[in-house]
Amino acid sequence: MTRTARAGAVLGALALLQAIAAPAAAQSLLDRLRQAANVARTLLPISTEKEVAIGRGIAATIAGRFPVSTDEALTRYVNLVGLTVASQQPRGDITYHFAVLETPTVNAYAAPGGYIFVTRGALGLMHSEAELAGVLAHEVGHVNQKHVINQIRKSDTMREVKSQLDIQGGTLDKLVGTGSDALFTGLSRGDEMEADSLGLEYASSAGYDPGGLAAFIGRLDQHAGEGPVSEFFATHPKPDERVERLHAIAEREHLGGGVTLAERYRLNVK
Amino acid sequence: MTRARGLARLLPALVALGLAPGAAVAQRAQWTDVVYVPGRWTGGRIAPGPDSLALVMRVDYFAAAPRWRAEMRRTTDGQTMGAAQILMGNGQSAVVVTQLGTTPLDQHALGRDTLVRALVVFDQSGQLKGPENGRITERSAGGKVLRVVFRRAVRNPSFDTALLDPGNRAGGRTLLASGIAAVGDQRSASVVATAGARGVDRVKTPGGEVPVTPDTMAVVRMERFTIGSVALEEFLRAGGLGAYAAPPDSSGRHP
Repeated sequence: MTRTARAGAVLGALALLQAIAAPAAAQSLLDRLRQAANVARTLLPISTEKEVAIGRGIAATIAGRFPVSTDEALTRYVNLVGLTVASQQPRGDITYHFAVLETPTVNAYAAPGGYIFVTRGALGLMHSEAELAGVLAHEVGHVNQKHVINQIRKSDTMREVKSQLDIQGGTLDKLVGTGSDALFTGLSRGDEMEADSLGLEYASSAGYDPGGLAAFIGRLDQHAGEGPVSEFFATHPKPDERVERLHAIAEREHLGGGVTLAERYRLNVK
Repeated sequence: MTRARGLARLLPALVALGLAPGAAVAQRAQWTDVVYVPGRWTGGRIAPGPDSLALVMRVDYFAAAPRWRAEMRRTTDGQTMGAAQILMGNGQSAVVVTQLGTTPLDQHALGRDTLVRALVVFDQSGQLKGPENGRITERSAGGKVLRVVFRRAVRNPSFDTALLDPGNRAGGRTLLASGIAAVGDQRSASVVATAGARGVDRVKTPGGEVPVTPDTMAVVRMERFTIGSVALEEFLRAGGLGAYAAPPDSSGRHP
């Protein structure tokens, strides 16, 4: 065998290993290939149109659990901050919408298609616009990376979906249920960490103090054990770990400066 | 087989794995100029006003030298931004792109627009000028302020360089279709019309299943709540955000 052929064989083997990524030595190659084919079949892409349809249903469910604020001035302010961070790396195929939920529960939610919510309880714990920007940017990160949609794609319901046309009626409702459950019970640790990184990037890129998200998460830690933050703690990775990681990213990426806008926040969020 | 020929045969595999040095794409650059002229918007016109600036245009630039693309949005009333006009170029050769095709800038009405001409400026090496952050004040020979440009570069541009090609079928579409320019000025009615999920009446939470009553009207209200791009621009300017943010400090740290 020539050197080139040997190198080609090695590359081919590497590519095959990469594709299969077999963790269980006992499992036969055929089983692994069959499983990979099943996963590929199950992970049918979801079009933007269907993503928005699913997102609308999940947003309606969120708005059904907690009433959406009718405070127009506050909604306008939250939308302005949200659009400021969303515009840093916008998805060209969706429009972002932001709203406040009237509940003392401390949390924020991102439904697919760009429907983003922050609770009154969370706003009450924030000290500045940079903190709000950090939280909304984190949620924009979830939307941009399609974290909830990817959970839905792995669901049992999607095994029955053969094309985009099947995503309607009862199937659509089931997918909305899967997405709503994922949002309220918590996304994976990896998804949360990725949204943290993106949130930091978007907020900092917009000109905000990159420490906003970390400051808010760190403050939540001081309220651990209190009722309104219990759901947040049950659905997100440990705050101290997230804060430490956010600081490390900011240091590594040389992120610094930026505005905090505490006074503007105080004037707009009463 | 020579070593050179062997490497040549290996190259496709290396490219597929993203390991070949030649697989690197041209350096992307993306920046935004927000352009103001002296004066103040009053009743749809710019009236002279000392110490005030009126927003007239926002330009989003995308470049991978020598190719570049500029998406210009103008306001003619100080309230809303119009649809984007797209310029593309390869070095100093520029064309205006429409849904129907391209026209050389020199043969298009935009080519006689002083504001447009002022925004398509090249450096000594023939590359489009940019993207240093900061405030740029352009003055006439007599020292009078003509324009003030607030410039902000994107740190990690991720746009598709295929859209720098005027021949690309999608080239006539704006890159920032519904990201920022259309946040309030253009809603996607087709998407809203086809969305049909009602929501679900029970959800799992960390504390167990809870009943909910889906509120579709709240979602409709969210969709109808619009923020115009001019209002967003004013918000950014008041807060020193976006293009109005302070440039990197002397240590090179970016805000």
